[in-house]
Amino acid sequence: MTHLSLDKIAKRFGGLQAVSELSVDVSSGEIVGLIGPNGAGKTTVVNLITGMLKASSGEISLDGKDITQETAVNVARLGIARTFQNIRLLKHSTVLENVLIGFHRQGRTSMLANMFGLPSVWREQAEFEEKAHSLLKRFHMQRFAQQPAGSLSYGHQRRVEMMRALASSPGVLLLDEPVAGMNDTEAHDLGILFRELANDGLAVLLIEHNMRFVNAISDRLCVLNAGKMIAKGSPNEVMSNPQVIEAYLGPEKYDA
Amino acid sequence: MLTQQIFDGIVVGGTYALFALGMTLVFGVHHVLNLAHASLFMWGGMAGLYVVTALGLPFPVALLVGALAGGVLGIGLDFVAFRPLRKRTDEFGPLVSSIGANLILLNIAQQLTSAQIMGYPFGTFPAVTFHFLSIRMSLLQLTILAFTAAAVLLMGWYFKTSFGRQMRAVALSETTASLVGINPLGVYLQTFFISGALAGAAGVLVGLAFNSVSFLMGEPILLKAFVVIILGGLGSVRGAIIAGLLLGIIQTLAVSYLSSELSDAVLFTALFIILLVKPTGFFPGMRRDARVVRQ
Amino acid sequence: MISLLHAFLPLAELAMIQCLLALSQYTVLRAGVFSVATAGYACLGAYSAAVLVTQYGVSPYMGIAAAALVGLIAGIVLSIPLALLRGTFQAIATTAFGEVVCAMALYAEPITQGAMGINGIPKVVGPLGLLVALVLVTILIVTISRSGIGRAFDAIRQDETVAVSLGVNVRKYHAFAFAISGTIGGLAGALLAFNTYSIVPEQFGYIMVVPVLAAVVLGGRVSVAGPIIGATILTILPELARPLAAQRFFLQGGILIFVMVYLPDGIVDTVLNRIKVSRSARHLVLQPQPRSS
Repeated sequence: MTHLSLDKIAKRFGGLQAVSELSVDVSSGEIVGLIGPNGAGKTTVVNLITGMLKASSGEISLDGKDITQETAVNVARLGIARTFQNIRLLKHSTVLENVLIGFHRQGRTSMLANMFGLPSVWREQAEFEEKAHSLLKRFHMQRFAQQPAGSLSYGHQRRVEMMRALASSPGVLLLDEPVAGMNDTEAHDLGILFRELANDGLAVLLIEHNMRFVNAISDRLCVLNAGKMIAKGSPNEVMSNPQVIEAYLGPEKYDA
Repeated sequence: MLTQQIFDGIVVGGTYALFALGMTLVFGVHHVLNLAHASLFMWGGMAGLYVVTALGLPFPVALLVGALAGGVLGIGLDFVAFRPLRKRTDEFGPLVSSIGANLILLNIAQQLTSAQIMGYPFGTFPAVTFHFLSIRMSLLQLTILAFTAAAVLLMGWYFKTSFGRQMRAVALSETTASLVGINPLGVYLQTFFISGALAGAAGVLVGLAFNSVSFLMGEPILLKAFVVIILGGLGSVRGAIIAGLLLGIIQTLAVSYLSSELSDAVLFTALFIILLVKPTGFFPGMRRDARVVRQ
Repeated sequence: MISLLHAFLPLAELAMIQCLLALSQYTVLRAGVFSVATAGYACLGAYSAAVLVTQYGVSPYMGIAAAALVGLIAGIVLSIPLALLRGTFQAIATTAFGEVVCAMALYAEPITQGAMGINGIPKVVGPLGLLVALVLVTILIVTISRSGIGRAFDAIRQDETVAVSLGVNVRKYHAFAFAISGTIGGLAGALLAFNTYSIVPEQFGYIMVVPVLAAVVLGGRVSVAGPIIGATILTILPELARPLAAQRFFLQGGILIFVMVYLPDGIVDTVLNRIKVSRSARHLVLQPQPRSS
C-alpha cells in the first residue's frame, strides 16, 4: 500500500510564485489527475516530487516518510518513477537498451562484481533482459527491440518511455502529459493500460491537458491555476465548478 | 619597487585582458571555448612582424595589419570549425574542433617560419622612457595601456549601440533572435572579427614588448587566459578586463618573489580552486550553469 | 624478414602505449565526463615508477603496481571536486590539473631531476609486456562496458537528467570512471617509462593530451574498439609517408575537425550504428506486419 502526499507545497523562483500551498495525495490503486491551463505549474509539481527542484516550503511524504529534502537519485530509488513531457529517450541507444536501464533501481550486484564480470552479474543481466522482452511484448514493441530509439515514431517513443518507467517496478508513477499528440483511440488504449497498472497496485498521478481523457480515467481530480489549487474532488464535481470553467474558458461574456 | 612592479603588472595584465576579451566574447555569444584563439594571437603577431621587417612599414601599420589579420582569420575559423557544428547542442564538438584548428594554424606557422624565434629590428619603436612618481614607464608600455583602454572604450561604445543588443539576443537564443529580424550570422561573424582583431593586436604588442615572435608564442598566454576568463566569468567583458589586470599584477609579483615555474603551478592551482568555489566567476557573465545545483 | 620485424616493433610498442592511454581517456568520455586528465595520470605514474626504481631500488614490477595505485588515487581525488562541474568547466579543470602535475615534475628537482628528466630507466617492458597489459586492460574495459556499469555510463552520457530519474547515482559512476581512467593512465605512464629509458616533464603536457583525445574522437567514444583503432590509426598514419610525419600537427588537427563535422560519433561507432540500423530495418521488413500495434 503506497501513499504519496504533498502538504502545502510551495515553490518560488525569485519573484515568481510557481506553486503555492498545494496539497494533494495519491494512493495505490488510484489515478489522480492534475489538470490546469498551460503554465499552471503542473510540471513544476512533478519536478518538486522527483527532487529535481527543491520545495520552498511544505512537505512531501512517501508512505509517511518525509522525502522533501531527498535528492533526485534517492527519490527515484524509493520507487517514484516519472515520464517526461517532451519525451526524453536515450536516442542513440536501442529500444531494448532504453528499457534495460529502467531496471537499474532493481540491480543487486555491486560495482566490484560488475567490474570483474562475476556470474551473478550475467545472471542478473539475463533476468533483466527477459523482463524487458516481456515488457516489449506487452506494449507490442518487440520488433523494434534493436532499433535506435531516436528513429521511432512519436507514439512508439511514448511507449518506450512508459516501458522504461515501469521497468523499475515503481510504487508511484508520475505521468507528465502521456497522451499529448495522440488521437482518441491511441489515448483510449493507453488509458486502459493506466487503469490496469493502478489496479495492480500502482499509485498514478496523471498530468494532462486532454480533458476527455482525464475525466474518463481519473478517480479524483485536482485543478491548478497559476500555481494555486482551485478545485479538488471527483471529475463530475470538478468539471461543473464555475472557477474551473472560468480558468479554462475565460469569464462569462455578457451580451450588450 | 612595489609600485614599479604593480605598474609593470598592469601593463602585462592589459595584454592578458586584450587576449581574454576576445575569448570571453566568443564564449558569451557562441557558447564555445575557442582554443584556437591562441593562433589568432600568434598570426596577428606574425603579420605585424612581417609588415615591419619585410615591407618596411612603420609600427602603427603593423598594429593595424595584425588586428586585421586576426579578425579575418577569426572569421575563417568560424566558417571552418564552428559553423558546421552550430546546429548541434553539445559542447564537446566545437571545443575539439577548435583544438584541431589550433593545431593546423600552429603547423602552418611552424612550417612557414621554420620554427624560428624572430624579433623586431632595432628602432622599430622609439626607446623612450618616462619617469613619473619614481615609476619607470617606457613609451611602449604606455602605448599598450593606451591601446587597451582605447579598445575597451571602443567596444563599450559599440555594444551600447544596437549591435550590443543583437549580440545579447543571439547569445540568449539564436532562433528567437532570427524571428525578430536579427541576422545571427552577421552577429556571429562580427563577434569573431572583433575577437580575432583584439587577439591579433595583442599579438603584435606582446611580440614587440618581448621582442620575440614565434609560432608557439600564443600557447603560454592561452593558459593564463583560462584563469582570466574563469575568474572574470565566462562571457563577462567587464570581468575579463578586471581579472586580466589583476592576474597581470599577481603574475608579475609572483615571478619576482617565486620562481617562474612555481608561479605557473600556483596559477593553475588557483584556477582549480576557483572552479570549485565560484566557477561562474566574480562578475555576471552570460553563463550560469557551470555546476550541477538543485534550484 | 627479421629486420622488417625489428623495424616494425618500436612502432607496435608506441601504438600499444597509445592504445592504453586512449582507453584511459575513453573511460571518462564514455561516462559523459569531459576530462582530459589522462596525460596528468601518465605523468604521475611514470614519475612514481621511475623514481621508485632509479632512486629507491624498488623492483620494476612493484614500480608498475605503484604507478597504477597512484593513478587510481589521483583519479578518485580528482573526482571529488569535479563532481559538481560539467562540460567545458570539467575540461578546463582537468587541463589545469595536467599543467599543475607537469609543473610539479619540472619544479620538484630533488626528486624528479626537473627539466632534465629521469634517465637510465631499465627497459624491462618490451612488446610482449605491453601486449599483455593491453589485453588485460581491454578485457577489463570490455567487461565493464557490457555490465550494468556500461549501461549506466551510456545513460549518464546521453541524458543525465533521465539517468537520475531512474535512480542512477551519477556521482558514484563518475567517480568510478575517474578511478578506472586514473589507474589505466598511471599504468600506461609507468609502462612508457620502462619502455623508453627516460622521461621528461614536457612529454606529458599538451603534446600528449591532444593525440590521446584525437584517438578517441577518431575511433569513437562508445564501443571499446573505438579508442584502440583510433590510437592505432593515429600512430601508424604518420609512418605511412614522410610528408605525413612532418605535418603531424596538421594531420591530427585536420582529423579532429573533419571527424567532428562529418563523423561525430567516430569511425567505429558510425560503422557499428549503420550495421545496427540496417539489421533492424531488415528485421522489420522481413517480419509479418501485425494488423494493429
